[in-house]
Amino acid sequence: MMNSLVKKIMFGAGLLLVLIAVPHFLKFHHQDLLIFLTINVLVVASYRIVTLTGEWSLIHAVMMGVGGYTATLLFKNYELGMWFTLPLAGGVSALIAAILCFPLFRMTQFYFLIGSFAAGEAIRLTWIQYVNPFGGTGGLSGVEPPIIGGIDFLDAIPYYYLTLVVVSICLFILYRIENSRIGLTLHAVHWKAALAESVGVDTWRYRALAFIVGSFFVGVAGGLKVHYLGTITPNQFGVGYMVFILIWVIVGGYNKFYGPVIGVIVLTMFDESIRGFDEIRPAIYGAMLIVSILFLPLGLESIPAKLKAWFGVGSAPDEPPLTDK
Amino acid sequence: MPVLEIKNVTKQFGGLTALNDISFNIEEGEIRGLIGPNGAGKSTMFKNIAGFYAPTKGSIVYQGKQIEGKKPHTISELGIVRTFQETTLFQELTVFENALVGCHINARTDLFSAIFGLDRKKQKAAEEKVMEVLDFMGLSDRKNQLASELPLGSQRALAISVALVSEPKLMLMDEPFAGMNPEETNHMMDLTRKVRESGITIVLVEHDMKAVMGLCHYLTVLNFGQLLAEGTPEEIRNNDKVIEAYLGGAN
Amino acid sequence: MELILQFIINGLIQGGFFALFAVGLVLIFGVMSVVNFAHGELVMIGAYTIWLLHAQNGFGFIPAIFVAVMLVTIIGLLMERFLFRPTRDDPLAGLICSIGVLFILQVVATLVGGDGPSKQVPPPFHGTLVLFDFLRIPYQRIFSLVVSVGALSLLWYFLTRTKLGWALRAVALDREAAALQGININRISMIAIGVGGALAGLAGALMAPLTNINPHMGHNVIITAFIVTIVGGVGSLSGAVLAAVLYALFHTFVTVYFGGTVATICGLILMVVVLIVKPTGIMGVRVSE
Ligand SMILES: Nc1ncnc2c1ncn2[C@@H]1O[C@H](COP(=O)(O)OP(=O)(O)O)[C@@H](O)[C@H]1O
Ligand SMILES: [Mg+2]
Repeated sequence: MMNSLVKKIMFGAGLLLVLIAVPHFLKFHHQDLLIFLTINVLVVASYRIVTLTGEWSLIHAVMMGVGGYTATLLFKNYELGMWFTLPLAGGVSALIAAILCFPLFRMTQFYFLIGSFAAGEAIRLTWIQYVNPFGGTGGLSGVEPPIIGGIDFLDAIPYYYLTLVVVSICLFILYRIENSRIGLTLHAVHWKAALAESVGVDTWRYRALAFIVGSFFVGVAGGLKVHYLGTITPNQFGVGYMVFILIWVIVGGYNKFYGPVIGVIVLTMFDESIRGFDEIRPAIYGAMLIVSILFLPLGLESIPAKLKAWFGVGSAPDEPPLTDK
Repeated sequence: MPVLEIKNVTKQFGGLTALNDISFNIEEGEIRGLIGPNGAGKSTMFKNIAGFYAPTKGSIVYQGKQIEGKKPHTISELGIVRTFQETTLFQELTVFENALVGCHINARTDLFSAIFGLDRKKQKAAEEKVMEVLDFMGLSDRKNQLASELPLGSQRALAISVALVSEPKLMLMDEPFAGMNPEETNHMMDLTRKVRESGITIVLVEHDMKAVMGLCHYLTVLNFGQLLAEGTPEEIRNNDKVIEAYLGGAN
Repeated sequence: MELILQFIINGLIQGGFFALFAVGLVLIFGVMSVVNFAHGELVMIGAYTIWLLHAQNGFGFIPAIFVAVMLVTIIGLLMERFLFRPTRDDPLAGLICSIGVLFILQVVATLVGGDGPSKQVPPPFHGTLVLFDFLRIPYQRIFSLVVSVGALSLLWYFLTRTKLGWALRAVALDREAAALQGININRISMIAIGVGGALAGLAGALMAPLTNINPHMGHNVIITAFIVTIVGGVGSLSGAVLAAVLYALFHTFVTVYFGGTVATICGLILMVVVLIVKPTGIMGVRVSE
């Protein structure tokens, strides 16, 4: 007991040290990438809570955009600083999600998937159509990171630390939710909806809750991104990005909290290593998606357990389907 | 006054009438058997009571309140809990965690308490309740095992525990004895009696005649969606129409 | 009046295309319960084949159409055999595999055609039919309409008048029950995706001379196909055809007055509304609970 606590603390301290040290060993371009990676960790972690109830939405990328546009418009029109734009970015995403719950959660499975895709596309096309205020296809630019106490967060390293703090807090909250009784109820809603209902769970409310919470945090991620990047366009949040979210989650493993996080980290590094093959990069990802669905359905996260099983210690993990029939 | 009144309930699926104008009452504190050949409409009746289906016609009154057409979670909040014909448990969770799912109504937590750990008291109460029920059902030494590792008898007992944790007043049990060996059946019969003695009214759908005759105070027989007969186990055993329905079904 | 007639004619021709690919999507979903996200890319490959063979290498238009249809059918069959069959118990896994295929096909198109501007295929049929002095319909479009209607009629004949077609509909209705009756699910799935693929290839081939061809053209196709499928009722082929025509008319109209983006937004909203109000679509029947 004591031993495992000590281990945990050591592990945590080590991880923290690495996270703090890592940007100092990177070239500028890689420091940039590190920031986006950290933001993407939040994106997949927030997507996970949505999928906990078994609904794979296709609107998550657009929800990130909602957060991004919110932060942009607040910054540009009202000169609000990041301490306001980030929570408001999350808030507006959550609000839009809450409104969308009414149509979307009348659907399940296939219908929900298509419905969420349609709703997302409609929002994205709205950004394209209405040049005022959204800037059309070209989007908006001129968003800046804050200057706090003389530190200019435009520089990669300070902004990375800022991102790290925000993302860590968000991850902590998401982790707490997943491991509370709410998380247990979400699990119940996914796998045995009828049983959950018969002990008093309003499945609609819990699916909505997961969707709203997930949208809140991805909205924050959108705000973080735009404050660093400075520009925002509708195409940053299109199907392409949504597919990346799916790839990260699936290749990493959707069964554990840290699976998607592993996925995004490993694939970002992989992405760097195939930088020379820009033209065929999508095909490489496509093939990877197929291969991991067919041969590693539980993702990278399951490899240690599988190895152990091969060597005769422990048992292979079960492989539940992504969705029930 | 009866706890549950079924009044002229009809349920149709497209052209098929699964329940036709059924009426009967359940009295407080009894173990009622709901029997009939396969396809008679027993499960459909349960689903109507528990809110998974809305009756096409008729009404269902629980403790003087109309409940037909209400959502399942609303009905279970009122104190009616259903267990399932198929063993439905979370195989990947432990016995304890499974039972904890049942706490939903009585120890509901909200997002902020969950995040900041403000619901320790509730959590503790919930855990105590779970342990009390697991003790009661004889599962407390297995509380850290995965549900998938339990033998069939204990899985069924766990399914009932999940329901009990939510502190129901009326429990609808769908074929809890199916597939059990005589020893397991006897154990389950004891457990069912214990549940009833703790003050819970039970409606039981079951094919195992030994269990039904041994447990139930009163039986309601359905056949092809019709109410065929009602009476004590003794009366039903000697009822010609019932014998015919069962023999006809066996052919 | 004249304008409206012209609209209707254009809408009908457009509707023919929509119907071709939407019907394929419905067929695949009905029989295999996977949403084929790569369906738009199948259409795109059909169009690219025409560009490559007919426009670049001087093949005849009609033979090129045959090649396009064959090629896309084969891609479809491969998808069924190697992706959808192994993931049959898990519809989402099938969908994700199809997203993988989507990317691969886009890259194939980029490699074949280069990254440059959209490709054009000069219409092989010249001239314009003029009716009542004011209706002008290019022969190219008439050809497309006739072929679309012909293909859909053939499909209708196949589904309603042949034993195989009957088996296919039985599987779409209830896969387990059909399997119990001795219907070979693998074979029927192959036929469904074969037919769906062929129709997508044909749609792409017919659209080629009338549209801009680029690796990303599948995106609009799939959105249109989803709208048509949902509005028509997910299990319903006749619903899909009707919805295709109605949506094409609607889209043509809104595009002229408000532009294409607004038309698509309206279509998407329409689709969400249908999902809410009547999830079974305009022609669907409500399945019992
Ligand atoms: N969801 C449904 N849709 C259509 N028919 C149903 C449905 N549920 C049950 N039925 C039909 O209703 C009848 C009664 O079924 P059920 O209540 O399951 O019988 P029992 O539990 O007594 O064996 C059967 O004929 C069954 O086929
Ligand atoms: Mg039954």
